[in-house]
Amino acid sequence: MFEAQEINAEHKDLIHDVAYDYYGDRMATCSSDQYVKVWDHNKDGKWTETSSFKAHSGSVWKVTWAHPEFGQVLATCSFDRTAAVWEEIVGDTPGPGERGTRHWVRRTNLVDSRTSVTDIKFGPKIQGLQLATCSAEGIIRIYEAPDVMNLSQWTLQHEVQCKLACSCLSWNPSLSKMQPQMLAVGSDDANPANGGKVFIYEYSENTRRWTKLETISSITEPVNDISFAPNLGRSFHLLAVATKDVRILHLTPVEDVQSIQSGLTKLEVESVAQFEDHNSTVWRVCWNITGTILATSGDDGCVRMFKMNYIKSWKPVAVLKGDGSHVTSEPQKTAQAIPSGLQMPPLSQTARYFKLGSISQPRDVPWH
Amino acid sequence: MEGDLKTFIIPNDLCRRTGLAASWTPINQMSVFAYEKRNVRQKDGPSNFASSQPSSVFLLRQHVLLFQPILRKLVNESNGAFLNLQGVISDKTLDHKSELLKLSRQYRSIVRACLEDLQDDITKVEGEDKETLQDYITIFYSIECIWHLCEILFVDTIPGNIVLPLLLDWVRFHFPKHERNAANMLSGDLIGLEANPEFWPTVIGSLLQGRVKVVRALLKQHSASDSHVFRLVDQILKAMPVYNVFSGTSVSEFNIQWRHWTVDVQSKIDAKMFVTSPNLNLIMRLVVGEETAWTEIQSHCETWYELLAAWLFYTEPTVKIFEVGQFAKHCITKMRMRNNMKHLDRVLLAAMEFDVLQVIKEIQHMSENGWFVTHLTDLLYHAGKLSNLEKEVETFSAEKLHESFLLDYGSLLMGHKSLWQVGLSYLDFCPTEGLKAIELILPRIPLETEAKTQKILREAKNRELVHVAQSICKVQGMKSLKRGRLGNALTWALKSQDGPFTSFLADKFLHEYTKDGKLASTDLLDNLGSCMLASDRLIFLGKYYEFHKLYQSGEYKEAANLLVSLLASKIIPNYFWYVLFIEAIPLLESEEIVFSSNDTYTIIHCLEEKEDLPELKDKIEILRLAAARNLSRALTYEAQLV
Amino acid sequence: MSHNLHGTFVSQKVNKIRWRPDSFNNSHFFITGSWDDDQNTIKLWDFQENEEDDDIYPFLVATHNHNGDVTEAKFLNPDYLLASSSFGSARLIKIENKYNEISLKDEITWDHLHYFNNKECSPCNSFALYENDIVTVGEDGRINLLTAQSKLIVRRIDEADSCSLQCVIFLKHNEILTSNLRGQMKIWDLRSKEKTAINTFMLSGDHVTPTCLTFHPTQRHLIIAGDDLGSLTTWDLRHNTYPVNVLNAHEGSISEIQFHPDNPDQLFSCSSAGEIWHWSTKGKAGITMEDSNIWLAPDNIKNKLEVFTLMPNLGKPINSLDLNRNRIICGCDNEAIYLINGITLYN
Repeated sequence: MFEAQEINAEHKDLIHDVAYDYYGDRMATCSSDQYVKVWDHNKDGKWTETSSFKAHSGSVWKVTWAHPEFGQVLATCSFDRTAAVWEEIVGDTPGPGERGTRHWVRRTNLVDSRTSVTDIKFGPKIQGLQLATCSAEGIIRIYEAPDVMNLSQWTLQHEVQCKLACSCLSWNPSLSKMQPQMLAVGSDDANPANGGKVFIYEYSENTRRWTKLETISSITEPVNDISFAPNLGRSFHLLAVATKDVRILHLTPVEDVQSIQSGLTKLEVESVAQFEDHNSTVWRVCWNITGTILATSGDDGCVRMFKMNYIKSWKPVAVLKGDGSHVTSEPQKTAQAIPSGLQMPPLSQTARYFKLGSISQPRDVPWH
Repeated sequence: MEGDLKTFIIPNDLCRRTGLAASWTPINQMSVFAYEKRNVRQKDGPSNFASSQPSSVFLLRQHVLLFQPILRKLVNESNGAFLNLQGVISDKTLDHKSELLKLSRQYRSIVRACLEDLQDDITKVEGEDKETLQDYITIFYSIECIWHLCEILFVDTIPGNIVLPLLLDWVRFHFPKHERNAANMLSGDLIGLEANPEFWPTVIGSLLQGRVKVVRALLKQHSASDSHVFRLVDQILKAMPVYNVFSGTSVSEFNIQWRHWTVDVQSKIDAKMFVTSPNLNLIMRLVVGEETAWTEIQSHCETWYELLAAWLFYTEPTVKIFEVGQFAKHCITKMRMRNNMKHLDRVLLAAMEFDVLQVIKEIQHMSENGWFVTHLTDLLYHAGKLSNLEKEVETFSAEKLHESFLLDYGSLLMGHKSLWQVGLSYLDFCPTEGLKAIELILPRIPLETEAKTQKILREAKNRELVHVAQSICKVQGMKSLKRGRLGNALTWALKSQDGPFTSFLADKFLHEYTKDGKLASTDLLDNLGSCMLASDRLIFLGKYYEFHKLYQSGEYKEAANLLVSLLASKIIPNYFWYVLFIEAIPLLESEEIVFSSNDTYTIIHCLEEKEDLPELKDKIEILRLAAARNLSRALTYEAQLV
Repeated sequence: MSHNLHGTFVSQKVNKIRWRPDSFNNSHFFITGSWDDDQNTIKLWDFQENEEDDDIYPFLVATHNHNGDVTEAKFLNPDYLLASSSFGSARLIKIENKYNEISLKDEITWDHLHYFNNKECSPCNSFALYENDIVTVGEDGRINLLTAQSKLIVRRIDEADSCSLQCVIFLKHNEILTSNLRGQMKIWDLRSKEKTAINTFMLSGDHVTPTCLTFHPTQRHLIIAGDDLGSLTTWDLRHNTYPVNVLNAHEGSISEIQFHPDNPDQLFSCSSAGEIWHWSTKGKAGITMEDSNIWLAPDNIKNKLEVFTLMPNLGKPINSLDLNRNRIICGCDNEAIYLINGITLYN
């Protein structure tokens, strides 16, 4: 059912994040080796490294692409307390110490944080070029590039104090220009006595400030990752949270006297799914393009996928697991292997996909 | 249908040791990599896995059967049928029932054409490929078989609900062995046909498929066909009543005739009139529905539904469509299949029991792509077979189910390089979520060439997704800029109606001029036309170019007028003032007076305002002098006119 | 007006389809060039009639891999075919018949004909042929002059256009007409050493993109351009300040237009909305106006033309068509090709 292509990432240490550009044609990886690598896939589907540069002086936690309307732009955040914005430059040869055929230049260094910057995300392009970061000291910072054609100029527009250390954030991607922007922030503070660990913030036009709408008190365990799903026209916002288990929440805006007066949205929070399939801490959550499948990874070493069926209930649909004993030296089968009786081209130039083996398992995966 | 969850193995030891993380790509792929969560509070340093093993990123995608070249035809052909179906539904003047039946047959013939291609190809390949093709053949054979039955039970109109004739057709179609053998035998050497080892199996097989005439024809070729027992059997078979709903006979009348005939045959059997030929005796015992006889011939049936149709023909010829289910279960039990029912069996049983929802659930798990379930559900939905369920099953919504399949299938296709247009056509028929899904996915299709971009743009515009179209134009503009194609970038910027971007590009033109002294892309600037109005900067650029052209062609007076109007406007970029001033000098000093006194005042005024500009430092005195001189000349000249 | 239609699904989107020239003008071989697939191909087909079921179906004779989309394909003569690619190259392909096996072989390959300054390759959008001379144009705004006899590039005009060049046709042996993304048409004199066009005019006041160009078979100063709004614009290049007439025709953008080679008063067009039409001056032959061409008649042209739909609307783009006698073949984005037989040609 799945086939895979292996790309040798050549980082000297574990990869912390993999991000694709808007079209899926370019890939950026970042690692504890402090490097960021950019990959492109050629016309035959093979991925090659086109750039590699030392981005920070500490582990690079996250890397993310801006919308292509702004050009070829990346943002990274690191243990070294900084975040940076990078742009690909045309025509120059790589600088010293850099490999590859493309050249990435640091456009700005955001040094406002006094602790590790744990997450960085570009805002929805409808609002211009904005960037949000969050840090272990519990501060969320919103930056903006007033002139989108000049990426060296960024202003710190807002600093939002969150009481607890922040580990992750997510912009709500599907709001229209008329609606106020919304951010979800998660904290990995380990003390349940400190209350809810997911916070929803909204930008109020009235007060010109980011205001907290909601603290989701039903989630008190540390939160490691959080993500809003793209909206297919639903009346509610869909939020996935990675904590001691997988949580899926519906946030429904309600109209009441209070919200009309204050100008702030009132949200009704409903937990629609809770999955303990990982049987351990969940580290990451990630939505597919239509927000219909959620991929999660956890301490059981697996990636699990959940899908919503037509009656709006969520069900696990597949599991991915690493296993070294199944390593074969050569890919066994290629995807385009069906001949039509005529000469086929040699396959060495094209990307080679091999089928993944599978095992059927009963729903409970033993703890290991 | 929760059943077993499949676990897929990533063949990598590092992944096993550290754990996995995943990241989706647009559109339908996912990358998976070895991941270990680092605690940000820990000391930052190389992890335990540093340098020990190369880390890999695995790019995963669904292996979709339909994308294999040999099966791809199916996708487009069936898309054609799908669109026809939607067209039929929206046309209120047509008889939907008969049109839907035609379309169902069209779908089936598309599947059969696909099977033919597979059969052709399997002869040309070896080894693993042969196995793969064989798998495909099995899958599509099952699909056609199920579809055919569903067509009979759910789409077709069955006169009087007497379904047996159609069921028999269905079985005959899918088990053609006996017909072939019979045809071969009857067209070959006819003497002593019984010597052929296939003779009696074919006779029994044909009997089981209700081909009584063929049975008689075969028996006539038996060397003993003239004997009494053979002739008796022939008479009996000839006299066998066969129900025909159009004959005018009522069901009860027919049953009486049938009863008489059966009793007659039974009495002959009891009188041991057929014992001389065990085969003929068996035949007679079968046609009266004797249980033991039927148990004996079970081995002739490959499947329970073969047995079902046969047994019904000889015991319940007027069975009604909704009674078939219970008889089906009976046959399954008889053939002891209850515990090893394959997928296909389960689907067919569910269909016979009119459990449409179960049919759909089972089909969903037949293959990893939604081709079958999407198209069949769409057909059944429009045939009204799903809406009945809404009353029976709580929380069931036929529309939502229907839409969810279309959405999944359409999204799947949109991730394919070539089939994205087909995907769009399915998403178009998702009433609540289709347009939004298109809005999310369409802009993600890589803009490889301008030709492809134009096609994507067209799709966006057709659905009035204006902001998607504009965004695509902007991205194309940025790409052209990156390639150093300023003129092309400006063209795309204008199409995207992005004011700031247009201004930015206009600035680039002007900056280049200040550096090189040449205006690039003059062919573009020649015919800016009304789109100049997109941005002030562009208007300035256009007008400045006009000024340039007038100057080059010696029309100094017009050029001067334009220059003055530019100076008086508010649209001159700061960095360009000194260029305009400098270019004013030759005009100020020209023999012919081109600036009126008013004009000159304007120039002087602007000069005063902008005297602080650093670029003007050396030139400002010359300018003041030239302006003053021109002023005096102009004033003198104008005084004369008075 | 009866004609019959035969469709075949070929599992690739067809961008170009061309009859192979036949010495008796009775082509039965044709080629298709695909686009937007992981591996694009040029395929040679032969139509075979099956007497049993009165069906005509194409039989695949040879397949040739092509890197990138097939952006244009034309026969120089029955044995040689030129094809251009979205990777900026062009190839001269020979149809070889060895021991009764037909295959397609590359004879000359021109790589890197079109590229951008940042070294990215640029699509070669189109080319035109005049005997053995070839002119290619691309998204990089470049014009190349080649000859079918040599691998060398005869002449290259860089930055010929600040916008992407999309179409090109020969007006005379030394004159070509190009059109760009913005609707700017340029006439070039190939004998001149200049890097600029000798004449420039706009397709229309608004920036409409011309998507295809063709000239009248017997009166080459008569140019018809189809654009991405579905209109046909006629120009008489003897006086080219404004178009002779503009016909708002198709729903979608016009992919190809072709005059019938033997009956030049009949025009055929296909569009991205899935339409394929036959344009004819109304039946009565008497209306040959003086000796001027109907297409040059300024107004009222709508009244003098009859348009026939040759196929039910496909719903997906028809990218290419080609004519031979009373048959037309077309290649479409629903990964199928269609043969329309028995077109009535009004004489």
